[in-house]
Amino acid sequence: MNETELKELIDVDLISLDEPPAEKRAVIEHLLDLAVEAGRVSDREQALADLLAREEESTTGVGMGIGIPHAKTTGVEEPTLAFTRSTEGVDFGAMDDEPATLFFMILVPEGSSQDHLTILSSLSRSLVHDEVRQRLHDAETAADVQRIIIEEVA
Amino acid sequence: MPERTVEVVPEEGLHARPASLFVEMVNDHDATVMIGPEGAADDDLVNASSMLAVTGLGVAGGEKLRIVADGADAEDVLDALEELLSTPEDEL
Repeated sequence: MNETELKELIDVDLISLDEPPAEKRAVIEHLLDLAVEAGRVSDREQALADLLAREEESTTGVGMGIGIPHAKTTGVEEPTLAFTRSTEGVDFGAMDDEPATLFFMILVPEGSSQDHLTILSSLSRSLVHDEVRQRLHDAETAADVQRIIIEEVA
Repeated sequence: MPERTVEVVPEEGLHARPASLFVEMVNDHDATVMIGPEGAADDDLVNASSMLAVTGLGVAGGEKLRIVADGADAEDVLDALEELLSTPEDEL
């Protein structure tokens, strides 16, 4: 993805720096609502069902404090990435038992091949680094978060 | 160090359930397991006990994975991982 596409993928409207709810499903709905409010979701119910079905298969709490709920869904028309973070931490069912503090939701339209997996893997590759996670925690504005994510995923 | 190169049979690749079973299997054995795409240099391998690191590899179905194991259970874990990667997702 080039920078313009990435800016669209994670518009500043899709980034919230306020403390999210304290429970996994509520965090997923909170991320989804960011996308709904940004006008990115054509069918909230369908998108939620697809996100939850993916969690059912295996948790997207991938450890190191990261949660990446994701789905391919008819509920969106364009690839969409939403972000929030928590200081309290949320139990995301990760194998390493670490509460999650950084959350990324990826939604891609049904017809879009394996785009969500490409976004998921580039994001994961950069989040392995302590320094990247710290920068996301320290970022003071949504625009800063957007810049970091674009740098890291590009 | 014992190692193998194994084709990833699950269609979606090393993601979701196959990936979490893979990481669980690594953590259930007394061995350090490093993985990467076929032909990856030693320095480019990632620790297979981390779901985040495994997800970051983005290994697709049909691709081959290089697996290097070190420790008391090295051969056992390689056998177990090879079997897992050779099983279609709906049979897992």
